[in-house]
Amino acid sequence: MVFDIIEIFSVLMFFISFYGLITSKSIIKSVVSILLMESAVIMFFLSIGYTSGIMPPIGQNPETETVADPLPQALMITAIIIGVAVVAVNLIMLISLYRQCKAKDWDAAKKKSME
Amino acid sequence: MIYAFLTLWIVGALLIIRESKIIRMIIYLGIFSLISSVCFYMFGAPDVAIAEAAISVFSTVFFIVCFEKHFGLAVGVSDVTPESAENRTNLKKYIPPVVFTIFLFVLFIFFIPENPANSYLKDQYLSLFSRDVGGENSVTSIYLGYRVYDTLFEALMLLVGIVSVTHLSRYCETSVKEGKPSDINRADIAVFTIRVICPVMLLFGIYLILNGHISPGGGFQGGAAIASFFVCRYMIYDIYDIPIERIIMVEKIIYVVVVLLAVLFIFIGLHSFLPLPQSVYLITMNLLIGAKVTCGLIIIFYRFIAFERR
Repeated sequence: MVFDIIEIFSVLMFFISFYGLITSKSIIKSVVSILLMESAVIMFFLSIGYTSGIMPPIGQNPETETVADPLPQALMITAIIIGVAVVAVNLIMLISLYRQCKAKDWDAAKKKSME
Repeated sequence: MIYAFLTLWIVGALLIIRESKIIRMIIYLGIFSLISSVCFYMFGAPDVAIAEAAISVFSTVFFIVCFEKHFGLAVGVSDVTPESAENRTNLKKYIPPVVFTIFLFVLFIFFIPENPANSYLKDQYLSLFSRDVGGENSVTSIYLGYRVYDTLFEALMLLVGIVSVTHLSRYCETSVKEGKPSDINRADIAVFTIRVICPVMLLFGIYLILNGHISPGGGFQGGAAIASFFVCRYMIYDIYDIPIERIIMVEKIIYVVVVLLAVLFIFIGLHSFLPLPQSVYLITMNLLIGAKVTCGLIIIFYRFIAFERR
């Protein structure tokens, strides 16, 4: 076991959304599963090095023992903003596909595009 | 406490994955974002919590706008109705993906040779950031100072996303340019509430941007809050009068200015030659990034509104 208990939650979440991604019949569910997967990754990076009573890394000279690591936070802010752009592009592609095929499912869309 | 919230978080995700109606799924998504924002706050990351709270508004709004225009919110997620799916449900179908997922999970948890997660650079950053970059919020100092390269490429990713959204969404020029209100039914009480809240949101966004270097906040969060002001404006007046092409041009220009400023101040080291305080760089960069994020989210939102408008 190389993970802390608090990190296992987000790993579990990642695989739950992975399960949602591979079993979903609907295209909408796939888009939402990608959103959840990204949320799991963000939570994993933030939960690294958690101790109870952790403080935000703000102030001139914070005590380094009880302060959260600022580096993953800075990277995850940018990841959240990229996530909304990914969702927007996914939705636009979903709607373009829906206008062509009139189908919300992968199987039906595949069948329509074969014809 | 944190374990309770994390358990709720996972339960929320399971509800989202098992849900079959679109409208309920979107409501669960909003609750899920709220819970994850609270968890981020408990992990000692108020910046990320504000960012998640401000941005999840937009993912929810995009889902609602996009689904409401094209197939309605009250329908199911899938074409197959649950009643007809009940008849041919057999457990054998679910066994292979469940086994595969559990196998991957166990493999990931137990058989990684060394946990890659560590905090080697934490002490270094925390002791040096106020001397090297300035400011009191170390998160802002890192993404505008040590990791400015990442921030530039992230801004480029947002720009690429916007370009692909504008490229993929065609819209009817004539009905949009007249600026006619659409015939969407809006409840009066909702419009009144939004009218009261909206200036507060604008003020909050400006506060987040201007105080980003000394308190939680920054360009990304403040930009998203200001863009949600424009969403409220659309909901009150319901008029499409934003010059999209001009905003796209403004955003590209802002991106070039952001890159130039970062190159001048970080890579060349301009503030060692000039008698400028270091916070000038942080405030300017936060303002520019906030303007860029605002422009980007406004463009995406109005393209969703205008996409094949009825």
